Amino acid sequence: MMKAAAGIDIGSTTAKCVILRDGELLGKSLNPVGVNIVRDAEEALRLALVDARLDRSEVAFVTGTGYGRFKIAFGQLTVTEISCHARGAHFLFPRTRLVIDIGGQDTKAIRVNERGEVADFAMNDKCAAGTGRFLDVCAGALGYDVAEIGPLSLEARHPVKVTSTCTVFAESEVTSHVSRGKDPKDILAGLHASIANRSLSLLQRVGIEPEVTFTGGVSRNEGMVRALSGRLHMPINVSPLSQYMGAIGAALAGADRLRGGTAS
Amino acid sequence: MVERYYLQLGEAEKAKRPVAYMLVGGNLTEIVRSFGYEVVFPEIVALNCAIKHKSLDNILQAEAQGYGLDVCGYVKNDLGLQALGGDTPFGHIPKPDLLVCSFSGCYVYIKWWEALAETLGAPLFNFDVPYQRTEKPLKEDVEYMVAQLWDFIHLLEKQTGRSFDMAELKRVLERSRRAEELWVQYLDAGRNVPSPIEAYFEAVFYMFPINVLRGTDEAVRFYETVNEEVKVRLKEGNFPVPEEKVRLVVEGVPPYTNYRTFWDFFRKWGAVSVAATYPKVGGLFDLGFVHDPARPLESIAEYSLGAYVNQNWPLRRELIKKYVHDFQADAVLIHGIKSCRSFTAGQGDLRDWLIHETGTPTLYLESDHEDPRYFAPAQIKNRMDAFFESLEQRKSTAAAGAAPVSGVRV
Repeated sequence: MMKAAAGIDIGSTTAKCVILRDGELLGKSLNPVGVNIVRDAEEALRLALVDARLDRSEVAFVTGTGYGRFKIAFGQLTVTEISCHARGAHFLFPRTRLVIDIGGQDTKAIRVNERGEVADFAMNDKCAAGTGRFLDVCAGALGYDVAEIGPLSLEARHPVKVTSTCTVFAESEVTSHVSRGKDPKDILAGLHASIANRSLSLLQRVGIEPEVTFTGGVSRNEGMVRALSGRLHMPINVSPLSQYMGAIGAALAGADRLRGGTAS
Repeated sequence: MVERYYLQLGEAEKAKRPVAYMLVGGNLTEIVRSFGYEVVFPEIVALNCAIKHKSLDNILQAEAQGYGLDVCGYVKNDLGLQALGGDTPFGHIPKPDLLVCSFSGCYVYIKWWEALAETLGAPLFNFDVPYQRTEKPLKEDVEYMVAQLWDFIHLLEKQTGRSFDMAELKRVLERSRRAEELWVQYLDAGRNVPSPIEAYFEAVFYMFPINVLRGTDEAVRFYETVNEEVKVRLKEGNFPVPEEKVRLVVEGVPPYTNYRTFWDFFRKWGAVSVAATYPKVGGLFDLGFVHDPARPLESIAEYSLGAYVNQNWPLRRELIKKYVHDFQADAVLIHGIKSCRSFTAGQGDLRDWLIHETGTPTLYLESDHEDPRYFAPAQIKNRMDAFFESLEQRKSTAAAGAAPVSGVRV
């Protein structure tokens, strides 16, 4: 039996790890990222091993991705999260031609070919507006936990307009809407719409083509899925594993190396 | 050579030699030098400040005077430096006796020169260079510019009390022509596979004589020496990276504040620039815009029209497409600079055009040439890594014999 490969994605807010063997997902983990990235990466692998009921010796290859990938000292390979999200999305949804990844501080639009290779990509530029952090800040301003705001936004009746140029300004805009008596659900719907609009401009830069797969932590937000799908006028693929897409892509790159074939 | 140049500039005031300030694009060095002027290029002073990590002090000084965040970094470096007394780590920059705005394609530059004229009290000559919208310069444009050159010459005669010496100008132009031919010969070496030259990072160092010392024997000797060295590199297999993996055409001004860091991002992937547009901001000599002693003023006019940033976008993009083809490049890398709209506006469309219309993998990055606050190394590196990964993946897929995928751009 082939040995397992692990992929660890160290993002700005969370560390994700998956363990794959022969294309089968054996285990996964998700833990917050603090100041000690090396320790967080080790913890991510340990938790995934527990989930997979595997011993460390059974994992033959570790690939790191995400902004903290260079801190994964025990890994054998580093690959950017752009390549990994493309690969992961294509693995779960083979007809994917466009990936939208919204994480804690980054939004990426990635065009992929039919082999899951990156064909073109665009990212938000030096600003966290329109990312997970944007939703965190605005949820906080309304007194909600970020996990609550997606479903609430779906109950809106008269969504308000919210600009999406700056996370800091959006927070004061939210406060202003609250003080004018606007329904928080309508404000939340406006926030989700503003992120969808901002993402659309990135997607257009690389070219919109179905199927579209939504990855990253924000893909767990139903309100965001609905807003994006509505703006694109097409259904979008979302998986319970969407947040792990980068880690899956990293593990697949490692599996390539184990097979001795071409790696990302 | 650079040290000697700045040393000479530093002594100009004491030696009572007149000083002219000029812009690099389409500059009139030969005419000005024939009247005995020392020439200062504030853009080059600014980039030297940036590479020595001194530009931010000057920029902050200019911002304290009221210049906004979005104003060109070259402009703010110069105006800040003037206000701080003109001392740099590489020497003292003398005040101008004459301001020659030799590139009028950038409105901010015209305002910069007007600000200098206002604050320093030097006379200003604005050389109005029509935008280049045809492959070959139009006859009426050349005539218009030659008429301005005569006005300029009369101004110089008045300023210096010297008579214009056409024979001397022709002698200077002959040395310019020779240096230009040698410079083109150097840049052409990028056609070799692997390339013995780095046509962006290395050429940026080597462009100093062609912009600053053109018309001197020193510039000619420099390029003769460089070309001899390139021959040796080819013979000995001494290339810019030990193993050339990616051949790039690079467009845009470099981030001088983080020059080595940016260069290292390329080297890590075995990427070499085989052709670049930026080293041609002083003149597109490879397209035949060279000085000609037999047609002195006409050839100066044509040369000024042919400055790279004076070309319209269809000409610029066709040139880049040609470089990709002629230099067997794998991809194009564009570095946009936040505070220069003149060079950067249109680069987003260029990226899309190269990808969609020519199928050339293209990466667009952005920071700034002068302001270190805009250089985000982690983000730039991440984009470059992803881009080079995708190029590497495509090459390995092709090597494995996989069928090409229609519509694939990278």
